[in-house]
Amino acid sequence: MLTGWPQLFQEVRADMKITTLVLASLLAASVSGCKLVKTDKGEAGGTAADPIAELVETTFDAKLVPALNEKAVDLASLRDAIKGGLDKAGESHGLKVGGAGGGWNFPVKGSGTVTEENRASKAATAEIDIDGDGTADAVLQLGPVIKGSALRDTTQLYDFSTFRDQIEYAKLGRALNDKAISKLPSADTPLKGKRINFLGATVIRSAGEKPLIMPVSIEVTP
Amino acid sequence: MKLTKRLLMSVVALGIAGAMSGVALAADTIAIITPSHDNPFFKAEADGAAAKAKELGYATMVLVHDDDANKQNELFDSAIAAGVKAIILDNAGADASVAAVQKAKDKGIPSFLIDREITTTGVAVSQIVSNNYQGAQLGAEEFVKLMGEKGNYAELLGKESDTNAGIRSQGYHEVIDQYSDMKLVAKQTANWSQTEAYTVMESILQAHPDIKGVISGNDTMAMGAYAALEAAGRKDVIVVGFDGSNDVRDSIKKGGIKATVLQPAYQQAQNAVEQADKYIKTGKTGLEEKQLMDCILVNADNAAKLETFALAD
Repeated sequence: MLTGWPQLFQEVRADMKITTLVLASLLAASVSGCKLVKTDKGEAGGTAADPIAELVETTFDAKLVPALNEKAVDLASLRDAIKGGLDKAGESHGLKVGGAGGGWNFPVKGSGTVTEENRASKAATAEIDIDGDGTADAVLQLGPVIKGSALRDTTQLYDFSTFRDQIEYAKLGRALNDKAISKLPSADTPLKGKRINFLGATVIRSAGEKPLIMPVSIEVTP
Repeated sequence: MKLTKRLLMSVVALGIAGAMSGVALAADTIAIITPSHDNPFFKAEADGAAAKAKELGYATMVLVHDDDANKQNELFDSAIAAGVKAIILDNAGADASVAAVQKAKDKGIPSFLIDREITTTGVAVSQIVSNNYQGAQLGAEEFVKLMGEKGNYAELLGKESDTNAGIRSQGYHEVIDQYSDMKLVAKQTANWSQTEAYTVMESILQAHPDIKGVISGNDTMAMGAYAALEAAGRKDVIVVGFDGSNDVRDSIKKGGIKATVLQPAYQQAQNAVEQADKYIKTGKTGLEEKQLMDCILVNADNAAKLETFALAD
């Protein structure tokens, strides 16, 4: 697989093209300044840096988290917006990826109380109540197994066209998820009953679904 | 011989289609080249593309390469010779197909790829790629959940020459291998074939009677495996497929196979023709070359909405 590395970022554009189909406003500022590292043609042995790991290292804190932070919609407002039509909400706050099978990706933030925490599954989750009615309104993924690639797909930082194939692109999705997990509270910090603030990304395919959010930060408030 | 005959027939059919639809004799033609229509997935794809082409006023030249890159190469030659305006292709090999697509490009004929990608960019105009990796992850997540995150399982692999066989397997393992209590006891190819899957499943069952689940690289193999399990009185074994065929939909509705993953094949093929039409008329599609199309999990909750590789709203 290593033979694919050099191709990977050959075409990463310093000044990324923004098509008219997508929200030109989203990230325009940060993307135009985005300069990704072009990797050397390292031989498939030993010390050659992993360009995906490098991409995650150089962009996660420096670009992705700030981009999510800047564009994040409050989950309560997003819920209301979706009631007026998912596509309409998506056009104002989200990014559509994945063609016919895909959904709207939203950067989201919010605060609420953790009503349930399931650490028994390896795909651990915390359910949160954001409106104080005692029932969960969204689910936060806690890992170590993560579903989906919302962190990869919610901003325009990572363009599929610049990757060799869907496997390389999927590796990026996994690496971003792993990186996010490393920053979340571990099982040693019980969250149930706690009040938290979170920031993350979610993909929504139908108006009725309970958002499954991949957080980049969860902060327990006193 | 067989190929020549088939080509001849296609060309004849093309002439007839052109004459019958009442368009001018010089009606622009779009070639639609896919794997064998024996698999309903590829038939849906070809039908979707042909329907859209007809709607947009094109004649069609529908050909199958049977996953043989040499044959695909010959089909490209005949499409080029026939002067088609565009080629819609579900290719016969990620590396092996590059030369054929390049050849058409050199003759000024643009190719629009569906389903499977090729390893080079800048050769095809569009590659509308089914995100098989994402789809496989969805299937695997459901499989792991159904298995209660533990137990012995077998995997049926597709045809090795098809890049998606490997991609799906990798996607499955990307998820499943994160669960240390999930034990892979058998991993065998059944070449996308229902009958082959039946025999392979029989032998796996003999060697591993304690098996709890089977994850299959496609739906036809899932059907074969489930039939073998049913014959052995092992309907308790969890089977998950991939493609979203009507056969598996019906099995899911009856509580047989538990889940599959839908690739929106019909719509994908239609999108490719729309892009080809735009390119023919304006010289560009306005879109990136590589476009990923997500897959959708189908289980008992939404199986009823599935029809011919499309999910109703």
